[in-house]
Amino acid sequence: MTKLFFATDIHGSDICWSKFLNAGKFYGADVLILGGDMTGKAVVPLIHQGGNNYRVTLLEQVFEVSGDDEVQDIVKKIRSRGYYPYVTNPDELLDLQNKPELVHEIFLAQVLKVVEQWMDLADKKLNGTGMKVYCCPGNDDMEEVDAVVRSSRHVIHAEGQVIPLDDHHEMIASGWSNRTPWNTHREEDEEQLAVRYETMISKLKDPHNAVFNVHVPPYKSGLDEAPELDKDLRPVLAGQSLQPVGSTALREAIRKNQPLLGLHGHIHEGRGATRIGKTLCINPGSMYEQGTLLGTIVKLGRNTIENYVLTTG
Amino acid sequence: MSNLFVRKATGMVRSWSVFDAFIYAFFSINLVTLGFYSFSQMYYFGGGLIPALIVSAVFIIFEVIVYASLIAVMPRAGGDYVWQTRIFGGSIGFILSITGWWFTLWLWTPIYGDMLRQIVLTPLLGVLGLKDLAVWFAGRGTALFVCSLLTLGFVSLVIMMGMKSYARIQKYSFYAGMLGLLIVLVLLFTGSPDAFRAGFERNSAAIFGTQSGLYDATATAGTDAGASTPLMGGSLALIFLTLPWLVFFNLWPNWGATLYGEVRGATDYKRNFTGMAWALVGVTILGILFFVGVARTIGWNFYMQANAAWWNYSWGYTDQVPPLPVWPNPAMLAVFLTDNRLIQIIVMLLMSFWWFGWAGTLFLSSTRVVFAAAFDRLLPEKVAELDERTGTPVNAMLLMVIPAVFVSLLYAYNIGGFISVTLAATQAIAIMYFGTAIAAIILPYKKKDLYEASPIAQMKVAGIPLITVAGVIFAAFLAFLLVEWFFDPWLNTDGVPPGLYGISLANTNSVIFLLATYGLAAAIYYGFKARRRTEGIDLDKVQAEIPVE
Repeated sequence: MTKLFFATDIHGSDICWSKFLNAGKFYGADVLILGGDMTGKAVVPLIHQGGNNYRVTLLEQVFEVSGDDEVQDIVKKIRSRGYYPYVTNPDELLDLQNKPELVHEIFLAQVLKVVEQWMDLADKKLNGTGMKVYCCPGNDDMEEVDAVVRSSRHVIHAEGQVIPLDDHHEMIASGWSNRTPWNTHREEDEEQLAVRYETMISKLKDPHNAVFNVHVPPYKSGLDEAPELDKDLRPVLAGQSLQPVGSTALREAIRKNQPLLGLHGHIHEGRGATRIGKTLCINPGSMYEQGTLLGTIVKLGRNTIENYVLTTG
Repeated sequence: MSNLFVRKATGMVRSWSVFDAFIYAFFSINLVTLGFYSFSQMYYFGGGLIPALIVSAVFIIFEVIVYASLIAVMPRAGGDYVWQTRIFGGSIGFILSITGWWFTLWLWTPIYGDMLRQIVLTPLLGVLGLKDLAVWFAGRGTALFVCSLLTLGFVSLVIMMGMKSYARIQKYSFYAGMLGLLIVLVLLFTGSPDAFRAGFERNSAAIFGTQSGLYDATATAGTDAGASTPLMGGSLALIFLTLPWLVFFNLWPNWGATLYGEVRGATDYKRNFTGMAWALVGVTILGILFFVGVARTIGWNFYMQANAAWWNYSWGYTDQVPPLPVWPNPAMLAVFLTDNRLIQIIVMLLMSFWWFGWAGTLFLSSTRVVFAAAFDRLLPEKVAELDERTGTPVNAMLLMVIPAVFVSLLYAYNIGGFISVTLAATQAIAIMYFGTAIAAIILPYKKKDLYEASPIAQMKVAGIPLITVAGVIFAAFLAFLLVEWFFDPWLNTDGVPPGLYGISLANTNSVIFLLATYGLAAAIYYGFKARRRTEGIDLDKVQAEIPVE
């Protein structure tokens, strides 16, 4: 039977991507599945100060770097947190302040460059291993990312597909989420999500032995607890107030179809496992900023989960 | 980081309010519950309580730095359990955290129950005219057990209600409690010793049926019981000796720390630090004001004598019920300065918010650590199950409530002298903090890349990472506390318990309790590890770092 490894929300972290590619061998898994949100959230400017000198503000700390070694070192630090370094100068920086479309272009270029590097690395590392790798961009990933993933020889783009994992288990996958306060790239109303899920579920041969690889966790599952925010996106009550933000459509789909396994992400703090009826739902969480790959290993049996464990790699 | 280069993505939130963070940390070092309760038990020391408060706060500021730093480097990690397991590996982190955040909370249950009756029920029932019931609740045995059960009921209700609702209750409780405390302070600073003495005699007689001459009788009983702690003064050594008791009150500013959200920079570190540090400073100042107010109107010596008289009876050193048959709650003593029953009721009601806004989180950390351990497969999956209808973690709750009932029974009826282990409730958490402090010290060296790409990478003292420096000072402070607690070099002259703290190695109950909890944690860890191995899961491997290359 299939032993799968699932991780999610690595948000541009090179370290986490490398670890993900190595996880099959490390844990003895047959299949690697990456949930959504592959791309990073920030570009960090390296502002040219003349000569070989740059000023960098990383996590509100100002670094003055000089020479290739120091530049490489700061670039490594930036990338280790999943952010994208961008060499610029004070004039360009000033110019960009009133041109959000140019900022978006820079962002997109950086994102796509890194995803391309990742796909190249995957093709190199996975060549000849026979390892199956599935990837499904999430609500934070721009649409342009899909084409880059599809161009990979070894990474299979899983969005909207029904994928046979072995003779008994199929997987459906979606990176779309319910509405968020951030108006991200792949989000829609619950009614539309319900249609999206049903379209895939209707194609399953045996829903009870299926894996639902859906980025957003089911509503009120404990895997979807996030700090309550006010209208300015500020955590209320100093983050002490938590509320469920998962998808009601997904919860209903799971309740009705009772698949074997649900694999989720989206809420980084929501690490855990729970049951909705007979379905085991897992959100391994994310600590991508720390270069730690959180994941889960699940051994699928026929009509049962033989075993599972959450990992901290 | 320039906002120009941060895109809209899930979880990119703005910073939380420092004032809100301050409120939760302020409630964690709760002056009225933990403070009033522990000050009153510290009647037999030689060091002044005002200098002791200040010295302890100076050391605890380093705890604040340690926790704010760890949150900045490893946000979202959920606290001591994950920090320790990440830095030390599985076994140490599990055993220290499970004991500190779960098993020890069983012992806190009857202590919370004791506070419920002393701070809320007895004074309120008294001023409401229910004398017999008020005095019954103040009594030994069953009354305390009933209050422990009431506490468990309240805490279970909070867990079912969820933190979204309770966080709001806490915030309203802060304002109500502060108003009550303000009135108490005004009464203490505007009253006079003569007015207090007369009001004390009159109101105690009316409310609790005490005899005439109560003031003198209480002073005599307290002196006989060994009341000695001064307000000021005492040598540095004597002041330090008070600290292992005092930290029962103020070792907890980190409980209010914000663990969630995406830490985006040094500002978030400063927000967490500021919230906790201001809470510590604010509570320390309020504590000093309270002491000065007590000394001014109630009279410091009388306050300590009343405490001594009560605890000497409550701890079972005498069967003679003290002249005042209830705990000398200082807020209640302050409202005795007025004969207006309505004011008394309102003030005692307001003061009860200090308990209700604080006690609900008794098992909050326990739930988190039980869940984290279950997700790591070190506990059965069932313990982390949520009830389908209500979303309540029923099994995890039972794992906390059932043992807590048993421990409450031992404590309430003082079976085998169990009431003497009160400070073990602080001791086990301090041991866990010690583990976290060591983790903080070595973090910049053991997780170099992680530290250097963190928001605190540039915070250094003489070239040494601030987190390491703060960790060393906090660990040294904890080491001092642990030595005092374990070896209690100030045991009675015959070298017999209880000594200063009651939980030394000479106290068999304390040793058995501590060993039993650590033994249980070790048995769970190694038992489940072996069981998972037979199921094909190597728990060491699932915690090990995957090679990057």
